[in-house]
Amino acid sequence: MPSPLLFAPAFRHQKLGWLFVAIVAIMVYIATFAMAAEAALSSVSLSRNEGLANHLTIEIPPVEDESSTPQTERIKQAVAVLRATPGITNVRPLPEDETDRLMSPWISDPDLIKKLPLPSLIDAERATGSPLTASALEDRLHNVVSDARVDDHAAWLADLAQLVRSLAALAFLTIALTGFALVIAIGLICRAVMATERETIELLHVMGAPDVSIARHFQFQARRLAGPAALIGFLLAVASLGFLLFLLRHVVDISALQLMRWVGLAILVIAVPAAAMLAASLSARFSVLRLLQSFS
Amino acid sequence: MLLSFDQVSLHYGQSRPALVDVSFSLPEGGFYFLTGPSGAGKSSLLRMIYGAVRPTAGSVYIFGRDIAGLDRNELAAVRRQIGVIFQDFRLIPYLSALENAALPLRLLDKSEDYVVRHTTELLEWVGLGDKLHALPAALSGGEQQRVAIARAVVNKPRLLLADEPTGNIDDRNAVKLLHLIMELNKAGTAVLLATHQHHLVDSFKKPELRLDGGYLAPPDPRFRGEKAA
Repeated sequence: MPSPLLFAPAFRHQKLGWLFVAIVAIMVYIATFAMAAEAALSSVSLSRNEGLANHLTIEIPPVEDESSTPQTERIKQAVAVLRATPGITNVRPLPEDETDRLMSPWISDPDLIKKLPLPSLIDAERATGSPLTASALEDRLHNVVSDARVDDHAAWLADLAQLVRSLAALAFLTIALTGFALVIAIGLICRAVMATERETIELLHVMGAPDVSIARHFQFQARRLAGPAALIGFLLAVASLGFLLFLLRHVVDISALQLMRWVGLAILVIAVPAAAMLAASLSARFSVLRLLQSFS
Repeated sequence: MLLSFDQVSLHYGQSRPALVDVSFSLPEGGFYFLTGPSGAGKSSLLRMIYGAVRPTAGSVYIFGRDIAGLDRNELAAVRRQIGVIFQDFRLIPYLSALENAALPLRLLDKSEDYVVRHTTELLEWVGLGDKLHALPAALSGGEQQRVAIARAVVNKPRLLLADEPTGNIDDRNAVKLLHLIMELNKAGTAVLLATHQHHLVDSFKKPELRLDGGYLAPPDPRFRGEKAA
């Protein structure tokens, strides 16, 4: 079993232990942040995607010719067709007030909104797994309202998916680079410790210590330091994430994250410090094993 | 034979050879003094036995195996059967007497209970029962050397190499130390003890290997001890 004390002072020498703790904590902070951001973004966008993917918005353009069928009648006819269409489970014409409210972020003057020739909107919900397409529905609607348009948000969803994929790739690249930097930094710290402890290592070799046994002592010290360091980095990242969510509380709909996704997210995030501890420990072991080849 | 040197020579770079055509054998449980003036090649010869240096010519056989043919793991396994006592003790300054002496057992992955019990018994045997937790800096030279001996024999080695073990302690402690080593030898551990203190060699009736300028000299009639094989 490794002596808990062997090499410990060398890790304290010239504050190498503090350097080790700081590096692991910073790396865990960055990686946790990146992982949480990626996981949360994916979950939120997925929730929103699922919601949007089953919703269709039917636009009934306003009538310009007074002799044509009145707009209210056109809406009624469209609603009737929608309700009669297999695969449509819920139909709700949006009241004018709600349409106006949707425009209010862009046009502040309510009178101006009233004057604009805005289409009337109908929100329809498509049954999950229904083969009904937006264009097929549009064809059915044209029998009663020739200029009705159906939007299934496909373009928006495709853009969002692309954005999420790019951000996820960026997050994973950040995590990979952080891991790489962690391995390099721990290798350098181990090299410094080994230089300080050269005589002890030579003595252990004379006693018949195999390289793996010496490396195990370093691994033990690395794990001992990496544990609290990973916890510090993790807690700082969680606090930062909480603060960020607080700042973005009006922009990000956290309720879109369902319980199971919260659990999945938590597991992913907790995996970061655990992985960092493992990486620190293994990195110390393999760095030392490689460097020991230069000892007789 | 436990240890054999067969026409072993050692050169460090272009300088004068450290050892030239050295041949001798040490049987299981044997005891040799290795004598000679400073620079005679005693330390080089001992270092060669535990594989810290390789012979330039000739062969060193340890426990029946040519040391030149051992890989790192095999060499480590051989070293675990050899105890080494250094003149400068080489205790790890931040470990207590107990921790220092226990190191070889920890390398063998013995249980914590066994390590503590066995090492404590051994330190009591060398007279340091009341200094188990003392750091080397708090021990006298003689006490440090006894910790070094405890460390060298804690895993019951087949061969004990001692490089000027009495060089840094007074004569009274040197004699006590040699008595300890003799007891280990009686218990079956072969010993090769390098020293340049002739009066110690004269005090103990043991065979002697005498090195001079890298050459193993013929037996010196000054020494009354039994001569080497």
